[in-house]
Amino acid sequence: MKPYEVFASRFGCRVAFNSELVLEKNQRYYLLNPRTKKDLLVNYYYAGLYLGKIKNSNFFPSFNLLNMLVGAAANKIVVDMKSAWLFICGRDVFRVGIVKVMGSKRKGDDTLVLNEFGECLGFGKIMDDLASSEGKLAVKNVLDIGDFLRRETRGRF
Amino acid sequence: MSTKSCSKNLLPFFNTSSLLKGFYYVRRNVELMSGKQFFLERYAQLGWKFQEPKPKLSIRINQTNAKAKKIPERLRSLGVELEKVPFLQLGYWVVRSKASAGATAEYLLGMYSIQEAAAQIPVTLFTALHGKMVLDASAAPGGKTVQLADLMENSGVIIALDVNKERLGVMANHLERCHISNTIVYNLDARQATKLNRTFDRILLDVPCSGNFASDSEWFSRRTLADVERNAKVQKEILAEAVKCLNPNGEIIYSTCSLEPEEDELNIDWAAKNLGLQVQKIYCLGMDGLTEVFGRKLDPQVKFSRRIWPENTQGFFVCKLKKVETQ
Repeated sequence: MKPYEVFASRFGCRVAFNSELVLEKNQRYYLLNPRTKKDLLVNYYYAGLYLGKIKNSNFFPSFNLLNMLVGAAANKIVVDMKSAWLFICGRDVFRVGIVKVMGSKRKGDDTLVLNEFGECLGFGKIMDDLASSEGKLAVKNVLDIGDFLRRETRGRF
Repeated sequence: MSTKSCSKNLLPFFNTSSLLKGFYYVRRNVELMSGKQFFLERYAQLGWKFQEPKPKLSIRINQTNAKAKKIPERLRSLGVELEKVPFLQLGYWVVRSKASAGATAEYLLGMYSIQEAAAQIPVTLFTALHGKMVLDASAAPGGKTVQLADLMENSGVIIALDVNKERLGVMANHLERCHISNTIVYNLDARQATKLNRTFDRILLDVPCSGNFASDSEWFSRRTLADVERNAKVQKEILAEAVKCLNPNGEIIYSTCSLEPEEDELNIDWAAKNLGLQVQKIYCLGMDGLTEVFGRKLDPQVKFSRRIWPENTQGFFVCKLKKVETQ
């Protein structure tokens, strides 16, 4: 299985891309369409839809990939406005801020974090059974869209 | 040649007095051809009287990502008041803001981009972008590339080039944030675009330029006419290369954020006379391009370009060029 497929399976769902349209360069994965594939030269820097990268043997997903998982039957939680803002700022999610849980509630599983509009803000790890963790730390922040601002500061892609 | 005759021949060049004279001559010339007064006199000769510009922060809605999402209303609820930019379909001024417009969830989700109002104009001047093969020749940090992809609704292909690899990292983040899927980025100088062996229906030449004082408070103390002339030369080289990979009946949008005619009308005059390009009439903010610059008469079609003196926007120049098919 490809790293992005393994990653999707952690959320209880599966992604299936045409392998001929997925390219790997410098341990980064890109999904092309037939038209962009036709016009691609070898020495590209970035191409098509960025899926994620391998760093220190771990797969780091892009927000494009996370967005795709939202549409699939993935583990996901919807959080209220205040928790959404705190999550973007890098904070964890408390049970009190969770509006809805879909998919797994089990401790140790990964879950997408959505705002009340159903937009994906990132993902985290379930820290306590979501059925019984009222008031406690529920989901530990692993990656959130505030990362774009942190990358600006670090000047990295 | 003996050592003696050699040193004799070279002696005048190492004469301290002549060296100093040369240094002061060059320095004096640089002083004469730079500074606020020098540039303001040039602008006056071009028909513009200096007034302190007040460019406003502006955003552009990415309609592909923001479909059915009422961004102005959502931002208002966060304390960000917007006002529609009258000359742009998707542009808004940020009138008041309690939150940073560059740190909202809506921004981070790619629903809008922060882009100077005048800088939003060039991409909107292309006709029929959908499904086209487009070159963005000096693309980083990618604001206009994202705008192109948005107007193309991620159809067709955008080839984006930039020579500066560090800026490509910023661009890659921008493309990811806005979920762009039709763009291929190369670390390549625009003057080597033919190396790609591709031809294009549309080419955006938002060329590297000297900038202007409205977006850089130190501009007058940092820029000289020599910088302007050096940039103008590079811009001509980019134009010449772009024409080689433009399809017949293809369009080039040429833009700069420079107010210096060497980088604007004079380059377009040169392109019309030497590259077989026709200047197309465009309808957007700004005044007609100058057809007489410092006593020099230019090709009359240069007036179809648009010159935007800074006021609510930064200074800008934009022009649409077409490669007309010949029998």
